[in-house]
Amino acid sequence: MGRYVIRRLLQFIPTVLGTMFLLHYMTSLAIQFSGNPVRALFGDRTPPPALLQAITERLGYGDPCLDQRGNPCFGLFLDRLQNIFFHFDFGINLRQREVTDLVADAIPFTLKLLVIAIVFEAVVGIAAGVLAGLRGGSFTDYLVKISTVFVISVPIFVLGVVVREFVGVKFGNVLRGQDWIPDVISAGMFSPGFKPDYPLASLVIPGMVLGAVSLATTARLTRTSIMENIRADYVRTAKAKGLTNKRVIGVHTLRNSLIPVITFLGVDIGAAMAGAVVTETIFNVPGIGRLVTMSARTGESSVVVGVVTMLVLVVLIANLLVDLLYAVLDPRIRYE
Amino acid sequence: MRGKFLKVAVAATATAMLATACSSGGDDNESAGQTGGTLRVYNAEPAFLTPSGGDDEPSLYVIRQLYRGLVKYNAETSAVEMDLAESVESDDQKLWTIKLKSGYTFDNGEPVNADAFLRSWNYAAYGPNAQNNGYFMKRIAGKADVAPADPDGEGPKKAPEPTAETMSGLKKVDDLTFTVELDAPFSGFPTTIGYPGFFPMAQACVDDIAKCNETPIGNGPYKIDGSWQHNVAINLVRSDSWKGEPGKPDRIEYRIFADIDAGYAAFQAGELDVLYTLPPARYKEAKAQYGDRMYESPGDSFTYVGMPLYQDAFKDKRIRQALSLSIDRQSIIDAVFDGRFTPATGYVAPTFEGAREGVCKYCAKDVEKAKQLLAEAGGWPAGEKLILWANAGAGHDLWLQAVGDQIKEALGIDYELKVNLQFAEYLETADQKKFTGGFRLGWGPDYPFMETFLYPLYGTGAGSNNSGYTNPEFDALMKEGDSADSIQAAIPSYQKAEDILGEDLPVIPMWFNKVGAVYSENVDQFVWNAVSDADYGAISLKQN
Repeated sequence: MGRYVIRRLLQFIPTVLGTMFLLHYMTSLAIQFSGNPVRALFGDRTPPPALLQAITERLGYGDPCLDQRGNPCFGLFLDRLQNIFFHFDFGINLRQREVTDLVADAIPFTLKLLVIAIVFEAVVGIAAGVLAGLRGGSFTDYLVKISTVFVISVPIFVLGVVVREFVGVKFGNVLRGQDWIPDVISAGMFSPGFKPDYPLASLVIPGMVLGAVSLATTARLTRTSIMENIRADYVRTAKAKGLTNKRVIGVHTLRNSLIPVITFLGVDIGAAMAGAVVTETIFNVPGIGRLVTMSARTGESSVVVGVVTMLVLVVLIANLLVDLLYAVLDPRIRYE
Repeated sequence: MRGKFLKVAVAATATAMLATACSSGGDDNESAGQTGGTLRVYNAEPAFLTPSGGDDEPSLYVIRQLYRGLVKYNAETSAVEMDLAESVESDDQKLWTIKLKSGYTFDNGEPVNADAFLRSWNYAAYGPNAQNNGYFMKRIAGKADVAPADPDGEGPKKAPEPTAETMSGLKKVDDLTFTVELDAPFSGFPTTIGYPGFFPMAQACVDDIAKCNETPIGNGPYKIDGSWQHNVAINLVRSDSWKGEPGKPDRIEYRIFADIDAGYAAFQAGELDVLYTLPPARYKEAKAQYGDRMYESPGDSFTYVGMPLYQDAFKDKRIRQALSLSIDRQSIIDAVFDGRFTPATGYVAPTFEGAREGVCKYCAKDVEKAKQLLAEAGGWPAGEKLILWANAGAGHDLWLQAVGDQIKEALGIDYELKVNLQFAEYLETADQKKFTGGFRLGWGPDYPFMETFLYPLYGTGAGSNNSGYTNPEFDALMKEGDSADSIQAAIPSYQKAEDILGEDLPVIPMWFNKVGAVYSENVDQFVWNAVSDADYGAISLKQN
């Protein structure tokens, strides 16, 4: 087990370095082909060359290799690695703020959003899957099947905008007109976006939107898995032993059926991070996703490289944890 | 004088109908708007909250409430009024003497004296400080010594080190008096110093600029509550140290949005009191829904199609006149922009003092005349396409295509759009004068003086003269206006200079924007300043 973990951790190194180089190369190419992002800060007002140069130097876009199209800028990459790994310095954005500060500000929001999303999709998804799986062909089964197809086929940016306009604005305004509904529900939960007055309540709906797409997959996975296991020999044995229905379903069927679901949820943390880029922008959540969107728009390479590297680490660690959890859930699996 | 009337928010309460014409900045409105309450407004994330650094709209909106400067602008007429200055005077328009009112302090107790202004201006101008508003100090004598120009532009040679730390043109006379010497006479100087880049800074602020950016030490009617909550909110409360006319709301809360659509949704849900701009796609809808709570007025942001006078095909002014005559601006505005712009018939924004209609005689569609002028000029080079440039991803290709179609229909010149450059590279192309055809660009004024629409864009060698226009007669008239005795006396010279542009057409004027803002039912009187836009400190809320 220990050796397995160490081997996996060592594999992180080339993965992270490779990702960083790709990000570095792509952001450098973007500057080489679409111009110095500092110039765009000034817009129509042509800055005096001295000022433009001073700001370009300060923000770290002054390296001459950024003027040579296609140059991979290895020197700049090595500097960047050195700063990140030896000084924990990810650089600054166009507004001269440290990337580490930006991330530290943003991460709590994204974590809350992710927790809400994952809890929502796990609880509701598994419950729906179990209900549908136990009674194949019933009304519940069809309901789950049809509604999940619907949710899967709507892209998250459409779902997000629709929910914001109809649930947050239209339905929310109706709720806000009713005096008997507490503010935390009407003004907090049904706010059309993140609201500093209700930092947690206003994240519930964005979190649910973020979890919605994977919720459908979770429900379908659980359903299929339950249907398969309910006919397995060990379930028949359990029933034959005279165990209560609750125990047969809860322990013998569900626990074994959850193995693929857990894997999916773990891998989904990575996908949810990507979804957060869209959801956070739509619902104005000041998290990592919105940060990436904004920096990609303005071409802030240091932010993009720094944040995406951290996201890669999160995905890698989540995947490792899922693999370890696998062994806990399934006694047949042993890591040597 | 072309002042504009403030739309008055009519408070239709159950008990009374209030219809009071209001003006901000006057003495008579103490009784007009009630004080108190919390004003919640939309904002994007500011770049900086220091006077020397913030030059973008979201920054300026916050800085204008935290800090105050020498002069302010009349909400309706945009005329200059003294704020912290007692007087701003000059005999030769070159050496200006500024006297300050006494008794003003920063929130930390430091006095707002001559040093506070000199410190701030010198800090902004000093090259190594890399402050965005250093640009605005360009007229002050000695600017070149604190921020020397790079001898070879973007080239390998580094810019030389500054030879001075302070500008030689700034001199302190006594605690409340200082003099400013300009490189050349400029009658409009008093209009420039109401821009936040000229606001004062405390010594404690300059000593730790990073901290001052997070927790500003202002001298205005509001001070920050806590610190700047990046990407979330900025909360301001009434400042006790402010001696001037107090702000109306007790508290101003700036909610920060990354996206205007999310801001509009929050406004619809009643979470915001003022949304100073609207998502273009929702403009019509907002007008229908919030008709009486929508503020609309002509703006001062100018859009033009520049002509590369450094290319042979565009050297003859009759060619440029013919191109301009082929365009029906209003039809493009209606079709592409839902009427959100006003067609330009001159080079100066219609809200500005001295602006006139019909300066450009070639800005209304007249196909016959266009054909005639083109023929006189010897026609368009055979077989060549007219290339139209715009930056990518900002929706400019839509209207530029309409321009191209109209030119093609009128003059039979085939066109080609070149809209693949990102903004940064597009601007670099402009700086290097490498356009091969008409190019879209825009301009917003730096100060409420018509000169800002003229010299920076068309003066010989001026910073944003992207068409490479040179006309000694124009330059002479600008100089004549610059050294006129007063702001009013300067206007006739500038108007003559604008007439030259109306004939020469170095750029084809397209349109000026319209401002559209919405406010909530909580707002009693909505105040929009002709220069500094929504004036949050002057907006009063209904009191229950």
